[in-house]
Amino acid sequence: MAPALRLRGVSKYFGSVSALSNVNLDAYAGEVHAIVGDNGAGKSTTIKIIAGIHRPDDGEVLVNGEELAHVNSAATARKHGIAVVYQDLALVECLDIAHNMALGNLPRKFGIVLDRRRMEREAAEVLRDLKVRVGNVRTPVGLLSGGQRQVVAVARAVRTDRPIMLLDEPTAALGVQETAQVGDIIDRLRASGKAVIIVSHDLDFVFSHADRVTVLRLGRTVGTRAVTDTGREQVVGMITGAVPADPTPDHEVAS
Amino acid sequence: MTMTAASKTVPDPGRGPESKRDSVLTKILVRQETTLILVMLVIGAFAASRSSLFLSPDNVTEIFRSSVIYFVMACGAGLLIIGGGMDFSAGAVFTLGALSTCKLLVEGAAWPLAILAGLAVCCVIGVVNFVVVTYLHVPPIIATLGTFYMLTGIDNLVTGGADILPLPESFQRIGQGNVAGVSNDVLIAIAVGLLFWFLLERTRFGVNVRALGGNRQAAVGNGLRVVRLDVALYVIAAATAALAGIIYSARVGAGQVTAGGTSTTLNAITAVLIGGVSLMGGMGTIQGIAVGAVLLSLIDNALVLTSIPPQYNSIVIGAILVCAVAVDHLRRSRIYRKR
Repeated sequence: MAPALRLRGVSKYFGSVSALSNVNLDAYAGEVHAIVGDNGAGKSTTIKIIAGIHRPDDGEVLVNGEELAHVNSAATARKHGIAVVYQDLALVECLDIAHNMALGNLPRKFGIVLDRRRMEREAAEVLRDLKVRVGNVRTPVGLLSGGQRQVVAVARAVRTDRPIMLLDEPTAALGVQETAQVGDIIDRLRASGKAVIIVSHDLDFVFSHADRVTVLRLGRTVGTRAVTDTGREQVVGMITGAVPADPTPDHEVAS
Repeated sequence: MTMTAASKTVPDPGRGPESKRDSVLTKILVRQETTLILVMLVIGAFAASRSSLFLSPDNVTEIFRSSVIYFVMACGAGLLIIGGGMDFSAGAVFTLGALSTCKLLVEGAAWPLAILAGLAVCCVIGVVNFVVVTYLHVPPIIATLGTFYMLTGIDNLVTGGADILPLPESFQRIGQGNVAGVSNDVLIAIAVGLLFWFLLERTRFGVNVRALGGNRQAAVGNGLRVVRLDVALYVIAAATAALAGIIYSARVGAGQVTAGGTSTTLNAITAVLIGGVSLMGGMGTIQGIAVGAVLLSLIDNALVLTSIPPQYNSIVIGAILVCAVAVDHLRRSRIYRKR
């Protein structure tokens, strides 16, 4: 089976600074793939490349084996099947839950009128499917707690029903209970056959929810492990550099 | 959606504890219109007790008529502020729209054509504001203030300071006639108000504008075409300023160089802010703007009729403006939880 999302030899420079060099990653449908690494390892740049905010200077991004070309905005990445939940969540506080969940993709009727009823129904359905309670869909997002906001942001990505979901630090600001709730949602997304990619600092969370983990260090891929075949110590070692990087495939060394 | 929707009860999925948080005070604060209408009633009662003329049909009509100019401008300015922008050039665009239209009328153009041309000229100014803000990265207040000064100069240059006269009857009827006893200008204002209400509350564009003003980064992250929204907002703000200028010139029967200016700009923005539109963007309603505009002309009118010296007018308006913005801040801190 071709990976749902594949990064092959991706490099990115900002001026003379190399942010990423030769990053490789294969994420499969029905799996949760975690990307971990220390600060400055290149996690954010990797996300931005997948989300279509940055373009790689070298290498390829493949979705279902097809190269993702000419992606230059979040809207085009979404069109190619990638839904992103940003770390800052990209929610508008003064709009309610239903509006936020439909942002960028608001349903219309008669050509120009906003179909509010459908928008609210869809929002309520998605939240029900995720088995979460964040209150009335007309509640302004500004009133929600951090965990509820995270849920709304994830629900928005779910609503777009893309095969690939990318979550940037989904538990960074959350308490224990809220983290568990987001973990449940991620498990359910995997069960529904999506390729879920999470970027996280939280190794406990990664080990309890991910199937594979890719470690980045100083802009390079250290290696990818199945969570069942590795332990925390090894992953921490890969993050800190105590465990040496896996040998990289030939064609990418050349570039 | 406006904050008001949050307080309505809907039997939708599990109502959270949030709905209980709506205290009576919050509800009142959340609806700035209600507070303003109370202020109006107080001022109205005071004026009515001091002057028997105040409640006469003629005077009530006059209050509404004099609010038309503020309101039409404030619709565009308000939409722009909700979308996170600001337009200080409105007063000069007001004059430019009026002068361009009047000039063409004097040259013999048919009035619909002259109006369209006047609006078109000002839409170009809207585009200029947009370009300076977006591509030269000048903050909106400074960019549009610059436009204001330059246009004021140009307005004076092209007319040599003289009024443009005489205007055809057909054109003057727009500002002076009436249909079934309701003045034409009031009808135009109602039409403009309905159009803007529809745009803001019932279309995708309106939601996108709120999203843009509420959190620009989120708007970008969700794939909204923010540049397109920006250009539309600056053009709309310029068009309403021009339309207000055109209505004004039809009412007074001349294209006056002195018609617009600083006070016109400030009155429009004041009506917007008093009406509960947040300077921080995202929040505000057309209903609120309408109440703000009527309140401005009501204060004006009441002070004249009760023969209170006109200096008090500015004092009262200034105080209300400060209160309105302070209430906006209080309101935001009540409805937004700190994460």
